[in-house]
Amino acid sequence: MIALRNLQIGYRQRKETISVFSGLSAEFRVGELVGLMGNNGVGKSTLLKTVTGTLPALSGEVLLNGKNITAYAASELAQQLSIVVTERIGGFNLTARDVVASGRIPYINVFGKLSAEDEAIVLQSLEQMGIASLKDKFVDELSDGQRQKVMIAKSLAQQTPVIVLDEPTAFLDYNSRHQLFSILKTLCEEQQKLILVSSHDLDLMKPYISRSLTMEEGNVMRLE
Amino acid sequence: MYLPIIKNWNNNVSRCSPDGSESLSQRILITNHYSLITTHQQLSLSSSRFITTALCLLLLVLALALADLSFGSVSLWSLESGDEMFPTILYDIRLPKTLTCIVAGSGLSMCGLLLQSLFRNPLAGPYVLGVSSGASLFVALATMVLTSINISGVFFAGKAIIALYSIAGAFFVTIIILAISRKAKSNVTILLVGLMLSQVLGAAQGLIEYLSSADKLKTFVLWSMGNVSSTTLSDLAIIGPLCALILLTAFFLVKPMNAILLNEQYAQNLGINVQGLRIKIIVITSLLVGIITAFCGPIAFVGISVPIASRLFFKTSHHLHQMTFCVLLGASVLLGADLICQIISTQFTLPVNTVTTLIGSPVVIYLLFKSKLSIG
Repeated sequence: MIALRNLQIGYRQRKETISVFSGLSAEFRVGELVGLMGNNGVGKSTLLKTVTGTLPALSGEVLLNGKNITAYAASELAQQLSIVVTERIGGFNLTARDVVASGRIPYINVFGKLSAEDEAIVLQSLEQMGIASLKDKFVDELSDGQRQKVMIAKSLAQQTPVIVLDEPTAFLDYNSRHQLFSILKTLCEEQQKLILVSSHDLDLMKPYISRSLTMEEGNVMRLE
Repeated sequence: MYLPIIKNWNNNVSRCSPDGSESLSQRILITNHYSLITTHQQLSLSSSRFITTALCLLLLVLALALADLSFGSVSLWSLESGDEMFPTILYDIRLPKTLTCIVAGSGLSMCGLLLQSLFRNPLAGPYVLGVSSGASLFVALATMVLTSINISGVFFAGKAIIALYSIAGAFFVTIIILAISRKAKSNVTILLVGLMLSQVLGAAQGLIEYLSSADKLKTFVLWSMGNVSSTTLSDLAIIGPLCALILLTAFFLVKPMNAILLNEQYAQNLGINVQGLRIKIIVITSLLVGIITAFCGPIAFVGISVPIASRLFFKTSHHLHQMTFCVLLGASVLLGADLICQIISTQFTLPVNTVTTLIGSPVVIYLLFKSKLSIG
């Protein structure tokens, strides 16, 4: 599903390039919950940005279904891969339902009108995360745990085989963290999705993930 | 009609849980009949509510327009049918003014809505970000330094030149703001830069005013107070359809605008070309603010406050709804302000800017305090 081939990640600033990590090679298939581990600043977020096609690779390539991720059109990629990022969203009258409905954007017309089928998928996604009762609440009224579930429900509504989550447990308390990971595990197993999730909390992730990619200082990568 | 969906879901379930334990997907199946019913009801309810609200606002605009046409120093109803004054008052004075209010009010409100959603900050607006000041400075340059273009002239040519300068000024500032927004860490930085820029442009304009001659200064100051009564029907024949066309173009941005409300990363992941959207918003706001500012002067307040009020009144985040409401509400606000100007003072015309700000600001402050939610 996703393959990293001798990947070098980092940033290009005008003339100089800043390499964050190099020599990444790995292959992930559907049904896997892959934990991306490593200390803060080692380049987990940079790797996820590269994998999602937001940041170009310095060298090497990221393949999605055998095709280079940068070769996908934005609208095409939107139906293959969805993200959950650390930045909190909300305000502007955004309700939980609105956020989840935005997952249908790759599939709908220019005026943003949802069909009955789209509406059904939105509701299905909310119910799968157990937050159907919150659908008319404004997102900024929700707790961090509820908000994170809304974001995952958005990914479900987007119906992508791959979901990438960057530090999804950052703002959560102990119970919500475990709940979140057990939800991710269930999704992988029941819906045959490939989920990539980053965290610096190794002990928390261990019982749930099926594989792990650990990044250490000095371009050391361990795949288990 | 719903059969394909249910069939889909059945497949989903049979694939998922071979061991017979209750799965997430099975829980869904149990509730799916209810959800289909409620979904459909809500869908029709919300779109019918949207249409009703839009029609009410349209009626409000029409009623205010009619009142704006009728009342003033002379009430049209008090004239006899054959009165010579009637066509002069209606076609040369009242009608152009009413139409200008509608064009300017709806255009500026749309710009405010686009900018607030793009920056995800209710403080954004053409005036706060310095776009209006840019337009204003360029007009000052054109009228007081470069040539002696007469702003209040009846010829469209003079105004067209002003409009070009004004659009250029608006464009110039929006480009700067956008260049900064790519480097800036947060949206607050962008707003602060906008405010600073607005001060710098204001100071530059002050310098030009100080150095210019008395009569040029007077025409410029009158223009800068915001005036909806200097346009003629022949001006409107051009700017009316032009602004309407630009407004309609904005409606084609509904989907990307809905996506950008989450944040830029999510929008990009949903297949939206964020950079392209930014450019489209710059072009639309610069054109609208430029044209409107050229003909009416820099009108404060409407651009920032109407979208805020609209979001407080109408609890929806969908841009098809908010754009419609903003356009209609914006037209009503400026018509209302002009009507108040006419009723209060029959001897002289009050600048419309003064009225919108004096009456509008307390209303927005009241709304902000009454609402429990933050809107941004």
